Amino acid sequence: MHAHAASISPGHDDGHAGDDGHHGHVTLQYQPGLPLSRGKLIMWLFLSTEIMFFAALLGSYVVLRFGAPIWPKPHHVHLSEPIGAFNTFVLICSSVTVVLALEAARANKASLAKIWMLLTLLLGTLFLGVKGYEYSAKFSHGIYPAMPHSRIYERPDLYYGSAVRARLDELRKTPVGQVPSALRDPADAEAKSGDTVDLLQRLDAAPADRLSADQQTARTRLQQIQKIVMSADQQAFDMAVVADQVMPLPAEGADHGGGHGAHGLNDAFRWLRLPTVIPGGNMWASTYFLLTGFHAIHVAVGLLVFGIMCTWTLNAKRVGAIENIGLYWHFVDLVWIFLFPLMYLF
Amino acid sequence: MSDHGTHSHGPVTRSGESADETLQHSIESEHGDHHAHGGLGKYLLVFLALCGLTTMSFFTYSPAWPWRDQPQVGWTFMMAVSCTKAMLVILFFMHVWWEANWKYVLTIPAAMMALFLAIMLIPDVGMRNRMVSQERALHMARGADLKVLEKASTEGPFAVQAH
Repeated sequence: MHAHAASISPGHDDGHAGDDGHHGHVTLQYQPGLPLSRGKLIMWLFLSTEIMFFAALLGSYVVLRFGAPIWPKPHHVHLSEPIGAFNTFVLICSSVTVVLALEAARANKASLAKIWMLLTLLLGTLFLGVKGYEYSAKFSHGIYPAMPHSRIYERPDLYYGSAVRARLDELRKTPVGQVPSALRDPADAEAKSGDTVDLLQRLDAAPADRLSADQQTARTRLQQIQKIVMSADQQAFDMAVVADQVMPLPAEGADHGGGHGAHGLNDAFRWLRLPTVIPGGNMWASTYFLLTGFHAIHVAVGLLVFGIMCTWTLNAKRVGAIENIGLYWHFVDLVWIFLFPLMYLF
Repeated sequence: MSDHGTHSHGPVTRSGESADETLQHSIESEHGDHHAHGGLGKYLLVFLALCGLTTMSFFTYSPAWPWRDQPQVGWTFMMAVSCTKAMLVILFFMHVWWEANWKYVLTIPAAMMALFLAIMLIPDVGMRNRMVSQERALHMARGADLKVLEKASTEGPFAVQAH
């Protein structure tokens, strides 16, 4: 710093050859405020805003979570720790490959840098793919950030019971086009487009050989549950029984089974899509999708830049650009390092 | 540290040099830089450390973890692990270890703002359930709901069939 400051003096605006000859080292003509390139400075300024952006998100998550009277366990919301850990590993690997791409470009080994860059692109895509798979698993369990897609109810109360009733009524008037293939009838082909089918009745009438053993048990359970929700004399405990049958929450001690031990009616018949009870599940879904969604957007933006860079010749001229996108990518990795334990392990 | 930073990542505006010379110079200086950073071995070491630390987070799940009935201990441990991982990434992958003093100007205020931001959420958001309307309390999930669901699972009419 001091050396640079000393070099700024009147009369040094032009002609440096003399200086160079005299002292044997380069004297700078222009002194930028900070000893780093403009691109890197802007990237760091951007990253410092990003720190605050994700701090706000992560901070809200932590504060919401610990301020909530109840928060679902990872298995209640079908989170799988091994998948999260795998994604952590993928992102760490991609951070290494981007660093190696930078080193290769510094050594002017363009083809090697290209290989590392392509590998980074591949790993980032893998991360997004796994994330997409996780999202689809949530969606298939009715876990969405908001109604009308979300089927999460907070408590097994009378409101939940009426929601189950409403869904059952809906199933009794299923449009012909939406009948699942297992319950399709040859007569359906001649039905008009406006016709509806009572799916529950059709399930009851379905021959046993068209259902698996699990589905036959589930069919009996469904009949009993219909009786409970239609009953005039409902107890609070009954609704808990219904909720437990529709989608059981794995018990505290069962957290080594990966959450697959429990099998509910919604799993036995995918088309049922009955409302489920996850205490604290709605707030969980909002924060989960917001945080991982914003992180995924950042990953996608990074991948876009990596994709563009893969079309370049990544020699020493591109060191600055690779370093800057590398900084961004490491930051995205950094956010995941905090997201993973907060979301999957807490 | 400061001197090193200014030379390796220093301004590249030099008069009297053509673009090619500048490039050549930057390659040379970056090459020297590379040696100073310790090279690929260091990155490999950091990578292994990150993988090891990720595995350590899972240690809280193992039966050998002594504080299974006190989740707070596990949470603190996992956050400590995460902070260590974050420091490794920032210092070595983001090259902050080798940067000049400007790094403090950008990172420390941002980190402090981030911390204050989170703390300022506590009164309004974190304590939102200290005082709630009766109607809200009626529809709010509580720990008791989970207990009821567990009871339904173990003692309900389908319990014998289910287990």
